[in-house]
Amino acid sequence: MRRMMALWAVGMLVLGSVAAGRSAQAQSPVPGGTLTFAAGADPDSLDPQNTQSNPGEQVNRMMYENLVRFNTKMQIEPALAESWTQSKDGLTWTFTLRKAVRFHDGTPFDAKAVKYFFDRVLGEEKPFKASLYTPFVQGAQVVNDNTVRVTLKQPFAAFLFRLAHSAGGIVSPAAHQKWGKDLTLHPSGTGPFKFVEWVKGDHVTLEKNDGYWGGHPLLDRVTVKTVKEDAARVLMLESGDADLILNIPPEDIPRLKKDARFVVESIPTARALYVVINVKKKPFDDARVRQALNYAVNREAIVQSLFQGNAELISGIVAPLQNGYAKLPGYNYDPKKAKELLAQAGASALKVKLWSPKGRYVKDFELAQAVQQDLAAVGVEAALSTMEWGAYLSATKTGPDQTDRELFLLGWSPSTGEAQWGMYPLLHSSQLAPKGDNRGFFVSKALDDALDKATTATSDQTRIGALREAQQIIIKEAPAIFLISPNMIVGATKKVHGVVNLPLELTYLTEKSWKEK
Amino acid sequence: MIVYVLRRLFLLVPVLVGVSLVSFALLQLVPGDPALILAGEEATEEVLARIRQEYGLNRPLPVQFAAYLRHAVEGDLGISIQSRQPVATLLAQRFPFTLKLAFLAIVVSATLGVIAGIVAATNRNSSLDIAALLGSLVGISLPIFWLGLLAILVFSVKLHWLPSGGTGTLAHLLLPALVLGAASSAVIARTTRASMLEVLRQDYVRTARAKGVSDRLVVYRHALGNAMIPILTVFGLEFGYNLGGAVLTETVFSLPGVGRLIVEGIFARDYPVVQGALLVVATTFVLVNLCTDIAYAFFDPRIRYD
Repeated sequence: MRRMMALWAVGMLVLGSVAAGRSAQAQSPVPGGTLTFAAGADPDSLDPQNTQSNPGEQVNRMMYENLVRFNTKMQIEPALAESWTQSKDGLTWTFTLRKAVRFHDGTPFDAKAVKYFFDRVLGEEKPFKASLYTPFVQGAQVVNDNTVRVTLKQPFAAFLFRLAHSAGGIVSPAAHQKWGKDLTLHPSGTGPFKFVEWVKGDHVTLEKNDGYWGGHPLLDRVTVKTVKEDAARVLMLESGDADLILNIPPEDIPRLKKDARFVVESIPTARALYVVINVKKKPFDDARVRQALNYAVNREAIVQSLFQGNAELISGIVAPLQNGYAKLPGYNYDPKKAKELLAQAGASALKVKLWSPKGRYVKDFELAQAVQQDLAAVGVEAALSTMEWGAYLSATKTGPDQTDRELFLLGWSPSTGEAQWGMYPLLHSSQLAPKGDNRGFFVSKALDDALDKATTATSDQTRIGALREAQQIIIKEAPAIFLISPNMIVGATKKVHGVVNLPLELTYLTEKSWKEK
Repeated sequence: MIVYVLRRLFLLVPVLVGVSLVSFALLQLVPGDPALILAGEEATEEVLARIRQEYGLNRPLPVQFAAYLRHAVEGDLGISIQSRQPVATLLAQRFPFTLKLAFLAIVVSATLGVIAGIVAATNRNSSLDIAALLGSLVGISLPIFWLGLLAILVFSVKLHWLPSGGTGTLAHLLLPALVLGAASSAVIARTTRASMLEVLRQDYVRTARAKGVSDRLVVYRHALGNAMIPILTVFGLEFGYNLGGAVLTETVFSLPGVGRLIVEGIFARDYPVVQGALLVVATTFVLVNLCTDIAYAFFDPRIRYD
């Protein structure tokens, strides 16, 4: 009898520890496996200095690394550079590089490789993204094997943000020398995943880089599939053919959320959606009219009913997740005030043209329709029209004498993740269309000064202060009808862990990502 | 016969030049700038200028067209503005795939369609006939897009029998071929039925029956052969259409085919890609028509090409 009890006790202990081990295992990372990731478009290039679209940038971020990188709160963190200093006059930056790092092709990563990067970007090759650096970088010098000095033509406060941009991915100099223009088909970086193959229009396959300085990646392979059709992507998740999908249509969210197999995340982005106002057309040159248009729109209702809460209303043209965003009071919903201002400006029965793309941004056309309705309620009759994206881009970029555009919906997400790039290209007087992206032809000396101050600031404090000033001016002058910042919706099976979702609308995997068996 | 074939192949040249000219003109007429689309919203003047220079987009139109023809004759179809790959390479990658899919689809639709058509014709006005007619009406009317998504929902998500998209194995092609074949089979079924009915009315069929020939032999040996001419025409047309126009099926099932290449090229104003792809599609259409014409001669000995 005693023996039986002892045996039984031991048996329970064994079972108990096995059970405990099992449940502990369910939560601790499991190495191995292939993760299938369905994105909405094929990468345009896998050469970081020539990549111009998000699908390409996402894949690049798994293979390449930069000197510094963003965390999910859009703050700068060390990456290939462990630390850095800035000279007092802001013209010289010195980076101390991580040691014992190698590119996928075996070349060592060192100061020479970083100098090679800057030489390439500033040199004759003129890769597509060179203009991120050429206006203000002078050159780079090797100090020793793991120290590099970069000199600037003028102080540039957002320098680190430019380095963290996907175009700052450091490429193996040997690979660039060997492949040149074909580098896009033979990527070689320092990142946790190595390139295996790219079947254009279909998929990109990556495998783990066992020599990665950050440790062995947990996943064996990553397959990024190109699935253009939104509904088909969702079906791939449901059928098990994909573990992770992007850009889920809002109509599918409730169904996926109810399914216990999946996790749906609604992630705030750095993107702003707004209606540009052509200030060269009367009566839009009158600030009261522009402010009235802003008072007329019910942003809360739009966020709740149109986006089901998957968006944030914003008071200006800068979205909260852009570094340097200042929380400032904007235009509340006040149709009465809107009518008053319109009356004061002598524009009570206005007829305007409202343009919108369709399908370029989430619910863009519906957003324009909501704006149209809100404007009608204050006596502004807006004729809404749409055109195909390519035609829209061209039609909204012509000069002031070649266009009859009045109000048009657009979106902007600064790829450097910070507010100077969220305002300068859109509203600085040197960026007027057709040369630049100031498509409403807005000019304000005060804004120019604030933006210039933010650009050349040598301290973070000055930069943030100047950016705040710029945002205040923009809100007051209302060169656009400010609307919302849409979230990006990412869906995955419950077995997937450690996915990085950057507010730059980039989703990718790292050495820490893993998948339960 | 050989001379005939050679003559037809020779006619391919003016057809291709015509297709080039029309596609070039139409693409230029459409508003939109490929450099802007490629460079995206954050394009700077230098990047736009560089793209335009690299692709010769600033040259006068007749110069651009003449240069295009000159290179095309040598087999150089230009470089894609979007992906910076040679167009010929892109087409070489995608066309065999589209060929496989279209071929599988036509096999499916021909089998289904011809059998359904024969059944309908031989059981005229019976419930089988009405079922076949109704079935073909539904098949032609159902939007391919919707049918494709439904097929994925049923066979992939619910039953897990087939993959929901992408490429790799024959299994990946099965659902798309079925979906693509559905609409084609409807057309083929109707044509078969009509043609068979016409042939079955003929005197020689009545003679054969009077002689005591079995029903099956009457239908398959005597009637079907003579009914094939219009059916072959439809085969050719449907196959040709599937080769260039299966863009909806390709989009729903995420297949890297020529249809998607053309449509996406149009949206990006990727002139070299669209022109190159249209040339390939036009060539295929001409060749398919040629094969159809030659096939007529097999089925009808009265047709001779001298």
